[in-house]
Amino acid sequence: MSRPSDLIQGTLDLLILRTVANGPVHGWAIARRIQQVSGDVLQVTQGSLYPALHRLEQQGWLKASWITTGTGRDAKAYALSAAGRRQLAKELESWERLSGAIGLVVREA
Amino acid sequence: MRRHLDRLRLRLRSLFGGHRVDRDLGRELRAHLDEEIAANEASGMNRDEARRAAGVAFGSIASIEEQCRETRQVSPIEHVMRDLRLAVRALVRQPGAFAASAASIAIGVGANLTIFALANNLLLAVPSAAHPGSLVNIRTGNGSHVSFDGWRAFNASGALDGVAGYQFEQSVNWRDGDDSIAIVPFLVTANYFDVVGVPVQMGRGFTAADVDRDPHAVVISHGFWRRRLASDPRVVGQSLVINGEPYTIAGVLPDAVRGIAGFGLAPEVYLPLSRALAPSITRPHAAYAQLVGRLRPGQTVAAGRAALAAVAARTGEAEGDVGLQTITAFERVGGVSQADEFRALAAFLVVLLVVSSLVLAIACANVAGLNLARGLTRHREIALSLAVGASRGRLIQQLLIENLVLAAAGTLAGIGLTALTFILLSGITLPLPLPVEVHFALDWRIGLVAIALVTASTCLAGLAPALQAGRAALVPAIKAPERHFFLRGVTMRRALVAGQMTVSLVLLVAALIFARNLTQAASVDPGFDLDHVLVAQLSFVEGRQGTAAQPAASAIVDRLRGVPGVDSAAFSEGVPLTIFSGSQTGTNMRIEGRGDPMRVDFDSLRVGPGYFRSMGIRLVRGRDFTDADRAGGPAVVIINEEFARRYFAGIDPQGRHIAEVKTDPASAEIIGVVANSKYRSLAETRDPATYEPLMQAGARPRFIHVLIRTRGLPESLMPAVRRTILAADGSAALTPMREAMAFALLPSRLASGILGLLGVMGTLLAMIGLFGVVSFTVNHRAREIAIRIALGASRSMVMRLVLQDALRLVAVGVVAGLLLASVVMTPLAAFLVAGVSPLDPASFAAATGLLAVAALVAIVEPLRRAMATAPGQVLKLD
Repeated sequence: MSRPSDLIQGTLDLLILRTVANGPVHGWAIARRIQQVSGDVLQVTQGSLYPALHRLEQQGWLKASWITTGTGRDAKAYALSAAGRRQLAKELESWERLSGAIGLVVREA
Repeated sequence: MRRHLDRLRLRLRSLFGGHRVDRDLGRELRAHLDEEIAANEASGMNRDEARRAAGVAFGSIASIEEQCRETRQVSPIEHVMRDLRLAVRALVRQPGAFAASAASIAIGVGANLTIFALANNLLLAVPSAAHPGSLVNIRTGNGSHVSFDGWRAFNASGALDGVAGYQFEQSVNWRDGDDSIAIVPFLVTANYFDVVGVPVQMGRGFTAADVDRDPHAVVISHGFWRRRLASDPRVVGQSLVINGEPYTIAGVLPDAVRGIAGFGLAPEVYLPLSRALAPSITRPHAAYAQLVGRLRPGQTVAAGRAALAAVAARTGEAEGDVGLQTITAFERVGGVSQADEFRALAAFLVVLLVVSSLVLAIACANVAGLNLARGLTRHREIALSLAVGASRGRLIQQLLIENLVLAAAGTLAGIGLTALTFILLSGITLPLPLPVEVHFALDWRIGLVAIALVTASTCLAGLAPALQAGRAALVPAIKAPERHFFLRGVTMRRALVAGQMTVSLVLLVAALIFARNLTQAASVDPGFDLDHVLVAQLSFVEGRQGTAAQPAASAIVDRLRGVPGVDSAAFSEGVPLTIFSGSQTGTNMRIEGRGDPMRVDFDSLRVGPGYFRSMGIRLVRGRDFTDADRAGGPAVVIINEEFARRYFAGIDPQGRHIAEVKTDPASAEIIGVVANSKYRSLAETRDPATYEPLMQAGARPRFIHVLIRTRGLPESLMPAVRRTILAADGSAALTPMREAMAFALLPSRLASGILGLLGVMGTLLAMIGLFGVVSFTVNHRAREIAIRIALGASRSMVMRLVLQDALRLVAVGVVAGLLLASVVMTPLAAFLVAGVSPLDPASFAAATGLLAVAALVAIVEPLRRAMATAPGQVLKLD
């Protein structure tokens, strides 16, 4: 139950914002999508996912609404707000810069 | 902007709509779990497997919920609100324990608050006046009172905006129909209402200009108007007959006016200070009035003092009055003061506050004990909350909040108790010569103290148990039987009870020592006869007897001497050890045979012939006053042995002359020396004193007492004496001397009464604590006891087992208590009369005995229960 470090937390935020950018989607599907897209490398536990979702909603980057899923259940779906879209752009940019820099160091040093 | 609004909305929603947010969160998480199960089933698991796998993957819902709640930034407040709800629910679920705890705290808080409210009333209350912040009390080297010339010079100097004076040492007769009632008024300078700005409900205060035109004006208190004048709405402009002359009512004060003199003094009437009403002020340099000054706008206290000090130095020099030359006190009214009487009362109240906070500590220890007991029975619940993800901090917070609710409820009840006490207090008339009123009002000081008391009792009662609960080790608590876990809690509870024993022993020691102080004070030899003297305070129906008090008193004394059983009778202006105890003077005196004038301090009393015989004061040498020592005859004076010893330094005083510098050029011849006695208080050791013949005094006293020495019990002669005085056309309040001096014993009586009450309260609370811990251990050791009995232990062995356990606690408490009491009592020696030691062994022993008895009474019931253990039943239960 230890808190994720800032780096990991920031990365999880980025993953969630990116996943949600495709349209309203509920928590389970977000976790599932991240897992699938990463080829089972990234597994987001519920213990990190939901606090992160609630924090992002609190920040005003996500908008939440109740929808009915394909299986006929009520679920809380998240979508990007305008502010979230700007935040995603910002985070993507800094991620590109950071991963590029790390890549350079790893390859060239 | 929009985003900020959104965020605000979300936060408010999670704060106030806590329930709904939580419900949504639960729904969201369950939906997730359902999706997971469905996905698992879709991948080919059967339903049970799918459910289990999903559960394992998911983890604790409660823990996730808690984390989500914490990410919402309002969570601390929300937690508090939740905990408040939980606390109220938990407390209401156990109404008995709740009531007992709240009542304990209420008693402790009530005791503290009552004493603080008294201190607030008597010492710190701001008087009812216009802009009280710019009023100052003024004292000079002459003490509390300043002479007429001093007042006039101060007021006229312009150093301050104005200086007014008041005194309440005189009594006046108010004629109410055929009755003549003695009341103690505030005699005030004509500018008093101008300077002080006392609020007036009807009419107005008299002004200096009014008094210049006609000094026969009076302002009455609300209480006087209500009680004596039946709240007559047309009373302003009517007149009261005071000392035989009509005084026009100028105004009526509102209810609950706080007097300028502090100490809760609430005079019934205000009269202009005049020679007619206060004859004693006719003497030059005589104490005239206590002064209260009004600072100029913008003038600081320091600047006012400096300005007035210059005036005082000048005036004192010109008047030849050394004491007047220095300003010794210049303090805002209604605040902390350096005056002796203020400091004495403050010290006394501080001691009481310390003692009552000990009572509160004992009460809190009881609540803490109950908490611990509850914590022990709830330990599994607590361990489970910890296991499912509650943080220890949150747990401690929740327990503290429970205690906060408890303390707040107890304090509210305590405030109610205090208000009730004040209502009861206002119904009790203390043997005080002056009208004192206390009003309970919730002001900011009381509020602050109440908040402090809530905080203190929360911490005292809740912190230890909360920390204890927060430390709970998870696995053993859930797995092990209670026994293991509870040992630590029990140790703490036992320590609390030992502490209670310690503190109640200190309380008992203090109560007993002050009780002894009272009996000792009552048996202090005042130097005159207490057992065969009747005191008659004469008042004459004005108009019939006129104001010719002395001849009338002489006639009454002559008649009384003829009453069978009366040994002797004499009149006197004052009576020692009562409020009318004569005056104390410090002045420069020329003493024949000692060269230059010297500073002397002495008590003086004006008495009639036969005074010493009637009081049982030995005439050491020379002669008593006779009827020949009257106005026009040669001035004579009698001194006491201490005056002779201190100021004549071995010279024989008999036949020598003394004179106050700059008063009458005529000096008085010393015609006799009498034994020392007490004059103003039982605590004084040996004061020099002079006696002057009352019939030689320049001005007639308003008040006359007659002292009647009886051969038998004074009470038996009261009817005959009353008849005789009535026949001489006077009326008298008759009291045996021992009762008349009740005033002198009042401080000792109050101290022993209040400390006794607090001691009893503390001991009762400690008994409850001891009872609680012993019954608890007996319950938990029921199995052990049952096994012992089954194996053949006798009842007396069981008794020894339980007793040993309890007595060990009491013994620890007693030893610590004796040590603590000896430390605490030593500084209290200042409050004790001579002959009572603060470490009085008898009191210490008696307190220990009392506590031991109280402890035994407290454990009788659990002891009986332990001895009645039926082994078969107890063992079967397990």
